[in-house]
Amino acid sequence: MTASNGLFALIVAVAAGFFASNVQRLVGYLRLGRLDDSRWDNVPRRLYNLATIGIFQRKIFRDGIAGPMHAAIFWGFCVLTVGTSEFIVRGIVPTFTLAHYLPQWAYRFYQNSQDLWGALVIGAVAFALWRRLTHRVKRLQGAETHANDPLLILSWIGLLMVTMFLAESFEMVAFPQHASPYYRPLSYALANVLSFVPQDWAAFFRSLNWWSHGLLVLGFLNYLPYSKHLHVVASLPNVYLSNTSGPGQAGVMKYMDLEAETEQFGAKDVEHLSWKSLLDGFACTECGRCTAVCPANTTGKLLSPRKIIVNVRERLEQRALELQTAGSGRETAEGRPLLDGFISEQELWACTTCRACVQECPVSIDQLSVILEMRRNLVLGESRFPEEVMPAFESMEQRGSPWAFDPGERGKWADGLDIPTMAELAERGETADILYFVGCMGSFDDRAKKTTVAFAKIMKAAGVNFAILGREEKCNGDPARRMGNEYLYQMLARENVDTLAKYHVRTIVTACPHCMHQLGNEYPQFGGHYDVIHHSTFIAHLLAQGRVPLREELHAAVSTFTYHDSCYLGRYNQIYDAPRETLKRALPVVHLVEMPRSGDRGLCCGAGGGRMWMEESEGKRINAERAEEALATGAQAVAVACPFCMTMMRDSISSRDESVPVYDIAEVVAERLG
Amino acid sequence: MKLAVCIKRVPDMEGRFKIASSGTGIDEAGLKFDMSDFDGYAAEVAIQITEKLGAGEVTVISLGPDVVQETLRKALSMGAHRAVQLKHDAPVSDGLAIATALAAELKDGGYDLILCGRMAVDTQNRSTGAFVAELLGLPVITAISQLNVDGGVVKARRELEGAYELIECPLPAVVTIDEGIARARYPSLKGIMAAKKKPLEVKPAQVGAVTYQLEKMELPADRAAGRIIGEGKDAVPELVRLLKEEAKVL
Repeated sequence: MTASNGLFALIVAVAAGFFASNVQRLVGYLRLGRLDDSRWDNVPRRLYNLATIGIFQRKIFRDGIAGPMHAAIFWGFCVLTVGTSEFIVRGIVPTFTLAHYLPQWAYRFYQNSQDLWGALVIGAVAFALWRRLTHRVKRLQGAETHANDPLLILSWIGLLMVTMFLAESFEMVAFPQHASPYYRPLSYALANVLSFVPQDWAAFFRSLNWWSHGLLVLGFLNYLPYSKHLHVVASLPNVYLSNTSGPGQAGVMKYMDLEAETEQFGAKDVEHLSWKSLLDGFACTECGRCTAVCPANTTGKLLSPRKIIVNVRERLEQRALELQTAGSGRETAEGRPLLDGFISEQELWACTTCRACVQECPVSIDQLSVILEMRRNLVLGESRFPEEVMPAFESMEQRGSPWAFDPGERGKWADGLDIPTMAELAERGETADILYFVGCMGSFDDRAKKTTVAFAKIMKAAGVNFAILGREEKCNGDPARRMGNEYLYQMLARENVDTLAKYHVRTIVTACPHCMHQLGNEYPQFGGHYDVIHHSTFIAHLLAQGRVPLREELHAAVSTFTYHDSCYLGRYNQIYDAPRETLKRALPVVHLVEMPRSGDRGLCCGAGGGRMWMEESEGKRINAERAEEALATGAQAVAVACPFCMTMMRDSISSRDESVPVYDIAEVVAERLG
Repeated sequence: MKLAVCIKRVPDMEGRFKIASSGTGIDEAGLKFDMSDFDGYAAEVAIQITEKLGAGEVTVISLGPDVVQETLRKALSMGAHRAVQLKHDAPVSDGLAIATALAAELKDGGYDLILCGRMAVDTQNRSTGAFVAELLGLPVITAISQLNVDGGVVKARRELEGAYELIECPLPAVVTIDEGIARARYPSLKGIMAAKKKPLEVKPAQVGAVTYQLEKMELPADRAAGRIIGEGKDAVPELVRLLKEEAKVL
């Protein structure tokens, strides 16, 4: 071992030690968060997510330009890490080489891979820099971003590659006996270009680049903890630990123990968030894909899901110092808490909980859970919410519906349709195979009642043995839960679970995706386990079985339809095809045109997350944005599969083009009943 | 400062009412109950006064069977400090009889300000608050829309048709609260949890002698559906005939 090896060993030890202490510091920060033990189960699913979303960059590729660019850098990083490891060990123990441990073909493959991926990374980095410097890519802008950090990082990676190539090439110039085109062909080619350099100079340049490369690697490693590029370290663990793509149902809000001995319900500051939400802050690299698809942000509202996550990390780094120095006599000045200090009430209430941000995040960050935990604190802890929401809360509590309708009239839509209630059947000692959970809109809203009746008629025509709850049905509680009112939500959920238990209900159909998501995915938290089928799936199924007698109709009044995806049906329950399938089966002659944003990229109607009950005065109305998109397809009619979407789409479309009707898919089918 | 708020538990006015078989009250089956709106404003006003002072105590009082405890708990969860149920199981409709029971409880409580709703939203008698003041020998300002308590004096504003009055009187006093003064807050979960530990006393109500009886309660007759008798000028003679003969307004 030479003095130079010794010096390098020392530098590696210091760099590794410094990095380790920083990792330990950041892990310590995570420990400030609340316990969350739902992150260790279902290893196969987590490994699958890690492989597809992490290693194979599934979500990164949703952007056709940045996707391949990032994948080149990421895969290059993975491949080159092997070379970097060998490089560091050799720097300390010069005799070490992987060639001793690998068969020749494998060693050659490995050497080739270093060269090829090095070149790809240079290309990708150059493209990324060019893109950042010459195109103001909209999603990369924003006051919360650290705009110079990516330029520094990209240049740094570029330099790492350049020094790697130069060190290799000058080595070949200085020691021609090491040169071979079969191992490092690109370095070999470069060495040929550089062959005019005298050998002793080449040896010097080799050393210069070797040391530069070594120091850049170790510096890079230690810069990460201070940069948004911490995602290099944090994102793969984050993907593994995330629940946003399973295991478990997507978008299920966490159960909250209301009897817990705590003064703090929900999150006012970072220590009230789950440690996983804090890790989200470390995993975020500010790519802005979330904010670019946020219906609130893109219609001019203050809310930006990226800012929420960036704020979590900023406040965490500040708060951790406060908490660590508390009582030590060297207290750090108290900053303002996450709520109000970093994130305003206005931002939190703008969220429609459409889940587009979560769907889009390439590293499985859960922006929604931060927003929703903070809403819980606002309502449960501080009773702060937009005042127009109060009547909805009071009505849900008093009348079991967010609208002030008489609960006794819940089943009135069924008058004269010969549809029994569960109570009536029970009195006669009978029961029904299927419960139709109608929901509040379907029961009380004049427009939605038409959907309700249409669906009921389809089921009757198909000979389905079903019943309703009538006045015993209550709001599923979704608006309350999404608006942070967990107390009210649990009250409603428990009452519904008790009612359903009374009639031994197993199978439920509903035309409301919010009812479906609650009953099917969130009621298990209260012991309610049911098969819940959305009417789109159910009707598609009945049609496929030929159980619905349809009239022959070759000349439909409407020849082109566009279908608007409901968030709670789509991104929450992955039902994208059934409603389209239903339309196609009901109207074989009809042409279905898609909006630019459809399927899992569908734009929210603006009503979710309790937004239905709030004013929307900030920016453009979300339903206006969506209506314009729907009308731009040239479709003659718009189909929906959610009563909330129906209201929002109908309001905004009818004020723009009265000739374009909005139908629920059930109405389209019922229209053709023979 | 000691404040008392008299609150009444009333049915949800959005419900569909039926007359009970007794014929003198409503059938409570299926109805939801809550604090009368004006009493909610009164509780809010009282709580805000103690919050502003950073001191004081709000006592909420309600007369009725044990179910009124739920309504009292709601006031406690809003921020009132203690509650008293004047237990009385039979319904009472006579404002004076109720005021007598309330006054008996309030008399020795040492309250500086007693707040009532302007009226109960169900029976709308508008009498209890004023009766309580009279029985206690205290000044009363009714149906106020603004309130300011300062240095032993209460200043209040009353809305009139196209005008308003500003009235002041010394404490102790009784005020009855109109709308527009404050919205009853939505209790936070913190408040609900805290309310479970706050004192709720149950005392027998000393209801006064009943001075009148409710004889009979009836629902208004259903309004007949509208009729379209035709369109354009051809329909006019028939319309005139009906207005003369059926409606008898011409």
